[in-house]
This record gives sequence, C-alpha cells and structure tokens, in this order.
Amino acid sequence: MNCLQAEEQFSAHFEDTLDYETLQGLEEHLAACETCQQEYARFQESVKVVQQLPQIEPSPYFMPTLLQRIAEEQGGIDGVKGSTTTGWKQLLNLFRRPVWAFSGILALILAVTGTYLYQDGFLFDRDTDSTVVTSESQKVQVATSPVVTQRAGGNGSQRLPGGVIPRSVRPMQQHYVLKQVSYTNASTRGGL
Amino acid sequence: MLDLDDELMERYQKGDESAFTLLVRRHQQPLINFIARFINDRDNAEDLAQETFIRMFKAAHRYEPGRAHFKTWMYHIAKNLCKNEIRNRERRDKYRVDNVVNSGSDGNNQTEEIDLIANTPANSGFQPEVELERKELRNAIQKAIAELPEQYRLPLVLRDLQGLSYDEISEVLELRSGTTKSRINRARLMLKDKLKPFI
Ligand SMILES: [Zn+2]
Repeated sequence: MNCLQAEEQFSAHFEDTLDYETLQGLEEHLAACETCQQEYARFQESVKVVQQLPQIEPSPYFMPTLLQRIAEEQGGIDGVKGSTTTGWKQLLNLFRRPVWAFSGILALILAVTGTYLYQDGFLFDRDTDSTVVTSESQKVQVATSPVVTQRAGGNGSQRLPGGVIPRSVRPMQQHYVLKQVSYTNASTRGGL
Repeated sequence: MLDLDDELMERYQKGDESAFTLLVRRHQQPLINFIARFINDRDNAEDLAQETFIRMFKAAHRYEPGRAHFKTWMYHIAKNLCKNEIRNRERRDKYRVDNVVNSGSDGNNQTEEIDLIANTPANSGFQPEVELERKELRNAIQKAIAELPEQYRLPLVLRDLQGLSYDEISEVLELRSGTTKSRINRARLMLKDKLKPFI
C-alpha cells in the first residue's frame, strides 16, 4: 500500500469498517510511514471537531410561521377545490394565541439575550472573514415591541419559484428584525 | 414494519393534521442545521426549511409509507431548494459586483470584525482566551466547509453534521454507495488540510 492508497482508507479505518486484509495493509503502512501517521492523526482530530460543531436551535417563530404559510397555501388550494381548512386553522390558532399574547415580552427577552448570545457567538458564529459585497441597506430598528416590517433589501422577493406566498404580516419578520438588532454591523449573509 | 415517520405520514394521509406537525417537530432542527451549514447562511435557513416542509405537505398524498423514507425525502427536497438558492445568490452577487464595478464605487462592505470579548459578562470562570480560541476554530470549520465544492460539501454535511448513514446519503444524493464513500473521504481530507493551522 502506498501513501495515496492509505489515504483513501482513512474514513473506513476511522469508522472501523475495513476488511481484515485492507486493515492489515493500512496498519503496516502507517507503522512504516511517519507522514501518513501524522496525517491520519490530524484526519481523526479534524473529523471529530467537525462532528462536534454546535447545533442551531429553531426560533420560536418557526412552527407558527410554517403553519401560517401552510394555511395560506391551503387557502389558495381551497379556492379551487372547495375543501375545508379548519384543521390547519385550529392548529395555527393554538400556536398563534400564546405567541401573540407573549410576543411583546418575548421580543424584549430575545432582544436582550439575543444580543448577548449572538455577540458571544454561543448560538451561531458569525463569519467575520466574509468578503461579500453588499449594497443592501441594513435597517436597524429598536425592537422594544413586535415590529412588523418587510425584510431589508430584496430578500423577500427572491423567493424560489413555486413559493409565491404573501409575506406581509408574519411573526417571522419580527424575528428577523430582532436579529437585525443583534447584528447591527453584520451583513445579510453572515456566516454561521 | 413501519417506522414512526411512516406511521405519522399514514395518519396524516388519513386526515390527522396534527401528525404533520409532529413530523415537523421531529425533523425541524436537523433540517435547519443541514440547510444553514450547506448554504452557509443561518438567516435564510428557516425560510428554506419551511419551504421544504410546505413542499412535503403538498406532495404528502403521493408518499408511500414503507417504500420511501421520510428523512431522505426531506433532505432530497431541501438539497434541491438549497442548490436553487445558491444559484440565485451567485447570480445576484454577480449582478451586484457588476454594478459596483460600473458605478465606480469602491465596494466597501459592512463586514466588520465583531468584538467578541467586549460584550461578554464578567462572570467568574469565564476564560476569554479559551472562548476566543473555540470560536475561532468554529468559524474556521464553518468557513472550511463552505469552501468545499458542493459535491463534497453535501455528503460531508449529511454525514458528519447530520449523522446520516452512507446508505441514506446515497439515497438523498442519488449516488452509488462507492461514490458516496469516496466523496466523504475526499471531503474530510480537504477539511483536514484547510484546518491545518488549527489542529
Ligand atoms: Zn504514507
């Protein structure tokens, strides 16, 4: 086994899926080749750190916004088919009530903790090396209460084909504004 | 035997709409993570995740429990949406750069180094150097992943961040299993080299 062939087996060795013969060949090569030994050690280390990247938490607006979008979609379908949407509407109302009732408080809490957490990089690291050239103006708003606004720039209109959904009044946009408050200097395409 | 996802889909097909919200709850976090890591953009990840679920919801009547897998179906749709998003973004960026060049602007962007230390609380046990190192490493990892060519980035994210099996990844990406394995190994080798200064 040469160095290139050895390298090809790194993942299988790391995941312990090699057959006996290949394993023998790789072990022999690693024992004899210091470069591959070091490279394999760094390979293992690198896979481990990647696998340990923190998970992102969905925002509290994810589900209510989704249900609202589905209800809107179904409203469109109903116009044609004439079926009922009561089930989705009931579900949506279930989510909507507590959300709207506490949205003011939530907005405040999120604004305060969000600023801390994001700047701390706890939830998601910003890519400070970003070289994105953006001419979009960043609206910075103070979110002391839920603010309903269009997304900054043209993001709202850059939706995918088939997803043409009116997006005027959605909880998600409150969330977006809160995030803008947190990243006053960040570009719209911040990293993770 | 049907797994829980299939059972929920069957329930949904029979008219139990709460089954779909259960499915969303089960998969929302991995889906958002997948999208955010793949397109390197947290802000748009939830939007695309919602779009994915909406497409699944619309096509739910065609789903055959036991034949397809909910999870691989979900990632397959999300992957296509992400690819569209990346294409659109590339077009937008090109348009933007052209405009900047034509207007003679210097194209200064607003990306500014965010001071991570200044805003951290003065709690005991907090070690700014350690935290900064960790954060630098996380940023470097994300940047390295984002720089991988798409054909390597996709299987790597599905494997090392989403924990899918090789078979599931082959299903999502419609690849032969040998190709999936070699691409993941290649992607990991590339990452190892990109992360050399940190490891
Ligand atoms: Zn060697």
